[in-house]
Amino acid sequence: MKGFDEIQQLWQGQKREPNVSFDTILKRLKSERSALLGRLLWQSVAVGAATITALWIGITVNFSTWTTYFALAIMVGCIAYYFGNQLNDYRDISRNSHLLSKPQEYIHYLRRFQEKRNRFNTRNYQVYEACIAVAFILYGIEMYFILPIWSLIGIFIFVIFWFLICHFVFMKQFIKNENLRIEEMIDNLERIKNQFD
Amino acid sequence: MSNQQQLFQQLFEENSKRVYHLCYGYTGDSDSANDLMQETFIKVWQNLDKFRNEAQFSTWIYRIATNTCLSYLRTAKRRPTDELNDTIIENYTEEPSEKQEQIALLYKSISQLDENERIIITMVLDEIPYPEIAEVSGISEGNLRVKIHRIKHKLTEIYNSNERL
Repeated sequence: MKGFDEIQQLWQGQKREPNVSFDTILKRLKSERSALLGRLLWQSVAVGAATITALWIGITVNFSTWTTYFALAIMVGCIAYYFGNQLNDYRDISRNSHLLSKPQEYIHYLRRFQEKRNRFNTRNYQVYEACIAVAFILYGIEMYFILPIWSLIGIFIFVIFWFLICHFVFMKQFIKNENLRIEEMIDNLERIKNQFD
Repeated sequence: MSNQQQLFQQLFEENSKRVYHLCYGYTGDSDSANDLMQETFIKVWQNLDKFRNEAQFSTWIYRIATNTCLSYLRTAKRRPTDELNDTIIENYTEEPSEKQEQIALLYKSISQLDENERIIITMVLDEIPYPEIAEVSGISEGNLRVKIHRIKHKLTEIYNSNERL
């Protein structure tokens, strides 16, 4: 049988120490900064390239209907919206000021962040998906005047099929997994928050 | 070396061991504890300019460490306690001695406490003054004293029952 004082002595006599040195932390600081900048740079380059390509197509190719230009504008808008949101969320979670809050407030912030991500991956994604579908339909009007009808029908069936697979298989699975993960996190955060109350 | 870097090194040397203990008590796993400790000090460095002398440096670092441990849930799937305990025991089998076994048992007992209890008790074991623990955990000092009394009793009971087994 040990009393708390003996347990405390045991704790203070432990030799276990971190195996991370000050230099390791400095090295990681430098590499993290460049990794973060690199990741953001590549994402920006990809989105920038997609936007410029869409604009270039809109300017150089002489489309016969205004609906195609509108479809391109929707596509650019969707890409910018998606990238903007990802960037915003990324900056929000890596902003460290929340870490200086009291644990209850920090847990509250994490919970709100998870809920926001949940909304983004479910409701907002459906709006995003609908906008892309509208852009394809608008582009289809132009194709109607160019392509033979059977090719157009074939392409449309393929696009519809692809959308259905994305919506009912990939996205359903993604949302289900994401929701399970988020619910588990929220449960954990709630449980811990109650411990601090 | 710049002044900021010197200050950071001093903070690291003074606090790293205790922060590591806090992270180890929370995760029960040496690798995760090292990762969380690194993450804590990276955040300390990134926020060094935001430190206002309202609290002691150690209190401020502990708060960052506590929140870093809490957000560990966001990225890691929590493992069942049994698995955690196996890891703790495994980590200590490399250097078997009676004392090491007792320390392993102590960590195992800490892992059986609630998350906030683990955070509070590791600070108590490291003899952090109560007002500082209250400041870190955001719990009033009166309430904290009651909690600490309860946690000490609970930990002692768990430890002794584990020792009997």
